Amino acid sequence: MSTGTATRFERSVQRTQEMRFGTRVWAAVVSDTGARVTSYIVGLLAWQILGALYERVPGPIEVVQFLADEFASGDVWPNFYATADRFLWGLAIAIVAGVLFGLVIGMWPLARALLKDTMMVGLAIPAIIWALLTALWFGFAWKAPVLTVALTATPFVAVNVAQGVEATPRDLVRMSKAFGVPLQRRVRGLVLPFVMDYVFTGVRFAIIVGWNGVLLSEWFASTKGVGWRTRYWYDANNFDGFVAWVVLFVVFIVVLDRLALVPIQKRVFRWRTTVARR
Amino acid sequence: MAVLKVENLSKVFPAANKGSEPTSALERIDLELGGHVFVSLVGPSGCGKSTFLNILSGVEEPSSGRITVTGDDGSPARFGYVFQDPRLLPWRTIMQNILYVHDDHGAETRRRALEYLDMVGLAQTADMYPAQLSGGMQQRAGIARAFSVDPDLLLMDEPFSHLDAITARSLRDQLQDIWSRTRKTVLFVTHDVTEAVLLSEKIIVMTHGGRIHAEFTIDLPHPRKASDPEVAALQAEILGEFEKIQATAGDGGNGSAAGPSEESQGTVSDPLAQGS
Amino acid sequence: MGNVAVQGLRVRAPGLAGRRWRQAGAVVIGWAAFFGVWAFASEVLFNPYRLPGPLTVADAMWTIVKSGDVVTTFKASLGKIFLGFGLAAVLGGPIGFLMGRSRYWKAFFHDPVVVAGSVPGITYAVLALVIFGIGLEGPILAVALVSMPFIALNVAAGLESVDSTLITMSHAYRRRRTEILRHVLIPTITPFVFAGVRLSFALAWKVEALTEVFGSSDGIGFMIRRSYQLFSVTDVLAWTGLFVIFMLLLERFVLVRLERYLFRWRPREAAA
Repeated sequence: MSTGTATRFERSVQRTQEMRFGTRVWAAVVSDTGARVTSYIVGLLAWQILGALYERVPGPIEVVQFLADEFASGDVWPNFYATADRFLWGLAIAIVAGVLFGLVIGMWPLARALLKDTMMVGLAIPAIIWALLTALWFGFAWKAPVLTVALTATPFVAVNVAQGVEATPRDLVRMSKAFGVPLQRRVRGLVLPFVMDYVFTGVRFAIIVGWNGVLLSEWFASTKGVGWRTRYWYDANNFDGFVAWVVLFVVFIVVLDRLALVPIQKRVFRWRTTVARR
Repeated sequence: MAVLKVENLSKVFPAANKGSEPTSALERIDLELGGHVFVSLVGPSGCGKSTFLNILSGVEEPSSGRITVTGDDGSPARFGYVFQDPRLLPWRTIMQNILYVHDDHGAETRRRALEYLDMVGLAQTADMYPAQLSGGMQQRAGIARAFSVDPDLLLMDEPFSHLDAITARSLRDQLQDIWSRTRKTVLFVTHDVTEAVLLSEKIIVMTHGGRIHAEFTIDLPHPRKASDPEVAALQAEILGEFEKIQATAGDGGNGSAAGPSEESQGTVSDPLAQGS
Repeated sequence: MGNVAVQGLRVRAPGLAGRRWRQAGAVVIGWAAFFGVWAFASEVLFNPYRLPGPLTVADAMWTIVKSGDVVTTFKASLGKIFLGFGLAAVLGGPIGFLMGRSRYWKAFFHDPVVVAGSVPGITYAVLALVIFGIGLEGPILAVALVSMPFIALNVAAGLESVDSTLITMSHAYRRRRTEILRHVLIPTITPFVFAGVRLSFALAWKVEALTEVFGSSDGIGFMIRRSYQLFSVTDVLAWTGLFVIFMLLLERFVLVRLERYLFRWRPREAAA
């Protein structure tokens, strides 16, 4: 069914040059890019309408204005740096620990038996739990958000790395063992290259859930940072400010994921034909 | 009274790309079928027989011409179809698959469905799922489904071509049997001349470009065996016709409208291959 | 591995029984290791006040179970999740349908759907709080928004995978549109939707609990927040433990059984 639509569309593209201006505009509107742009326009309009209908909800214009003020008063960057610092430290721990756990679980059945359930429990525990627990343990300190990120993100990295190791073609592994290739060389030359793609997927998930985690932690137990600032405006009943910061951190992570992470992953691993993701 | 009447049927595919000619898949087909005959349509690949069946079954539109199918008592005609692959719904039981093509699911329909399943030897599989049946059994279920509709015209498009020789032979015998009992009007497309001779009362030979080249009437009694001398003789005669077709095509004489050369015969088969 | 003896309809290989024991043993070891390390960390590495040991937490869990709080709490949360999934189906189904059938709608909805799936859970939680205050609309909407992308994308993928030979067969036999929808399209899409539900299930639970932490007066999230406000690490861990167990039970018993029933027509393959 959809192939029929595609063929019709392709023929209309061929004839774009010969068409009059009016039909050319129409062709642009119904193109893929046109559809995307339209969806953003519709979304913004809907938001504006919601903002007009509900007094508490600010529309896009108020949000942009508020953010402009925040940037001008110099309140944005210091908070972002604070959050980024905690986030990156937590992420670093998560990647190191996750890769280690994942490799170990993937390569040795005994380790798998020992650690897999722990990993599954880790995956199941929501970030909010870690945020609350670290707040109880460390109070309003730097350790709380860092550990929240680390504890939330490690299982995601580990699970993906373990899957990657399990997906390494067994015959190549057997061949390496048969040739007496030592463990270190086997890991570096065979396992790691295969696993890199999965590592990347795991890191991508780690970034997304880790970002969620640091914000949660800062909401409950911090004196600066993006999460803290969001709460600051909420506590002050300033919903313009509250929503403005929400928009800011959502746009940040979505842009980071869609415009940076996904294209990098596609480019670096485009030679891959069959990859099982997730 | 003719069950199927085809007048001046043509099908032309538009040019695939700039510079090539439109391809004529069927050219002025005229055909009349009386009731209760088993007719085979044979021809080399790309001669248009599958296109013809697609048009008859409503999957494709003809470019020109008329098709009239008359039911027994003047009511709208019912069609039965058997395809190359069984085309059973995998998530329904065999019985449910047969009921799917009926509008009424009452007790009478179920009884009839079981009757036809029994005729093809599948009575115990009624509550099983297609995945639990072998390829041959699935195809038999498809045949039971087609017959159960009590069709005025039964269209079969190379139903045994995807089966191994042994299964195909056994199914051919079953088809002969079930046809002798029900005497439906069947239009059977195949590229296997032996199969056509074994099964049909009448054989229509088609040639490239979708034209009818010759017709043969077969008077031999059923059941027929491949070892019968008359079968072999007829087979040889029909194969002779094929050689004549190949010869004229190679001459660049009355080949397809798309052009006489071997390469354009390649372009002819492409649009036809996308039949469904 | 070993001789294979055909006994009636079942084929049993001696090596197989041994493998089952080994698998069970591995599970036992896994959990023993988990609790062992926990107990060690609690007694030795930190202290039992900061990090209560497994026994303390188990005791607290048992208290909660006995008091019946478990039932009311999880019923509340489960109810919201059901409604949320229902809403996700109502929203995501038609969107996915459009995306699967038309190239324009696929391009139109692609970004909103993907963004809805990448937005951090906290966003839904706090926005729900602002818009709806304390109540159940928040968690329901959050679950709906988080699961909707999975449903929509899976419905679209399911539609794109429809076997066209079955469609032509249906047309040849003059089946009506409603019949084709019911007997061909929906059964084709169902496995995809199910996969989507399974994937988003864990995520939906987390978002639901999170939203409840922020703005609810019942449910698991509310209980966790209360424990936090009482500075009770034990209770937070106890509720977390119940939460995890509940999710695993649902996943392993309800979802797996449902999957087996829905797809009993599938040919037996090696389990993925």
